[in-house]
Amino acid sequence: MGTAIVVTSGKGGVGKTTSTANVGTALALLGKSVCLIDADIGLRNLDVVMGLENRIIYDIVDVAMGECRLEQALIKDKRFESLSVLPASQTKDKTALQPDRVRQIVTELKQSFDYVIIDCPAGIEHGFRVAVAGADQAIVVTTPETASVRDADRVIGLLETENLRSPKLVINRIRSKMVKSGDMLDIDEIVQVLAIDLLGAVPDDETVIKQNIKGEPTVMRPDSKAAIAYRNIARRILGDSVPLMVLDEQPGLWARVKRLILGKA
Amino acid sequence: MLSVNANTSGKPEGRPPVSVKGVNDGLLFLLDEECEHEVLTAYLRELLFENPSQLLSGPDVKVSVDYGNRNLTAQENLELLQLFLQKDNFCMREWSSNTVARRALFANRNRPERQNIHKGTIRAGQQVYYDGDVVVIGDVNPGGEIIATGDIYVFGRLRGIAHAGARGDTSAIIAAAEFAPLQLRIAGTVTRVPKVDGRVMNTFMEFAYLRDDGMAVDKMHYLFAIRGEKKAKRKRG
Ligand SMILES: Nc1ncnc2c1ncn2[C@@H]1O[C@H](COP(=O)(O)OP(=O)(O)OP(=O)(O)O)[C@@H](O)[C@H]1O
Ligand SMILES: [Mg+2]
Repeated sequence: MGTAIVVTSGKGGVGKTTSTANVGTALALLGKSVCLIDADIGLRNLDVVMGLENRIIYDIVDVAMGECRLEQALIKDKRFESLSVLPASQTKDKTALQPDRVRQIVTELKQSFDYVIIDCPAGIEHGFRVAVAGADQAIVVTTPETASVRDADRVIGLLETENLRSPKLVINRIRSKMVKSGDMLDIDEIVQVLAIDLLGAVPDDETVIKQNIKGEPTVMRPDSKAAIAYRNIARRILGDSVPLMVLDEQPGLWARVKRLILGKA
Repeated sequence: MLSVNANTSGKPEGRPPVSVKGVNDGLLFLLDEECEHEVLTAYLRELLFENPSQLLSGPDVKVSVDYGNRNLTAQENLELLQLFLQKDNFCMREWSSNTVARRALFANRNRPERQNIHKGTIRAGQQVYYDGDVVVIGDVNPGGEIIATGDIYVFGRLRGIAHAGARGDTSAIIAAAEFAPLQLRIAGTVTRVPKVDGRVMNTFMEFAYLRDDGMAVDKMHYLFAIRGEKKAKRKRG
């Protein structure tokens, strides 16, 4: 029986889809069987980031409506045997999915995959409740900005009411220069406010944008810092204790955070 | 708490034979239980018809009269009632030895506030309400809101909104181990905390309370000194 993890944020555009694709691919690279679910109905883009757009025949709404079998809608990634994607529908209405039906689909997928990772839409309405329905764990993504942290906080509260306690935090798009100049919240500050465990910090990295356009997850370019960060996150999900990497040339800045992570591990 | 001192002539020594209290939406007259009937009527006559106070001759006001354990004959009862009925802005609501208004007044004051403990962080979008005092073991995050009818003590960081004395208790306080609230409310008074460099000022072990001229924030070790003063004032009022 596998584990289902929902990737959520509240605020839009902070990197849920990027994180889903990269954490999922990194877990596959580490030998796990993984299924990614795009629960962002109407705005699907996980398939684009994964470079599978032109192979979609059926989607999750078709499965939910009983128009096809679950296996028919799964797209196997050509690069990795063990990685599949269940795409969202681009045409159908958001309300086409109901939490109970999604829970059934996720439970079914957990029979054949080690990890089921669900890409949640932005917001806290119907789409959010649908995406979290079948999840066992949650990853909350935020950027180092006040509004994004506020929304993450809101979502953590809502996850509690959905019985998803102690979610894990990913801080995305960190620019160490801006943190140093005080124009961005630093990691300590964010972890302190949100009071949940930090799973990883991903630097702002051009490679991510280029790779997303190319349809190839960033983790496949291990020379980039974001790739290393996502690989580390995957290892931490598997239970390894991996120190936070040094995003900055000055180690002093991160020393406290490292202690935080190592202390918890 | 609003009150009118009608003891203008200085006639009766010590406690005036009538005390007037502002209650929820009207006035409560508490009649002395022991003084002579004549002293009481004389005092009332002066209070009601010679007192220039806006309260007693302004717009319509709901009035409760409580004579407690006073032994009234039918005649005395009628005489007193007639005095009140002569006021055309008085809308009589209660006339009894044990008015709801008095019970409510004393319930508000002498009942020790209920003590609550809230465990866990109050996050953005969450609003938590307590009857009585509350101790929060955790943080109140920006966008989160803690409301209590009594005092609020935060054993953590207060960065959201806190509203103490939510039913009008102006002696309520707000205290926190780390004090950086976005907004504070005590009873009906609201303050916003000024930002420095776009961030709320952060201080430690402080508390907020109401003074006559608005809200004040002080170091926690002054709490008992200031609290004592306010409690005494509350009793007097
Ligand atoms: N670490 C990063 N460095 C640079 N760019 C990034 C990074 N993470 C995400 N981006 C870019 O930010 C944009 C938004 O990312 P993404 O689509 O993953 O966010 P999302 O949370 O899924 O958005 P939505 O709420 O719309 O679903 C994309 O253009 C992506 O390439
Ligand atoms: Mg997305």
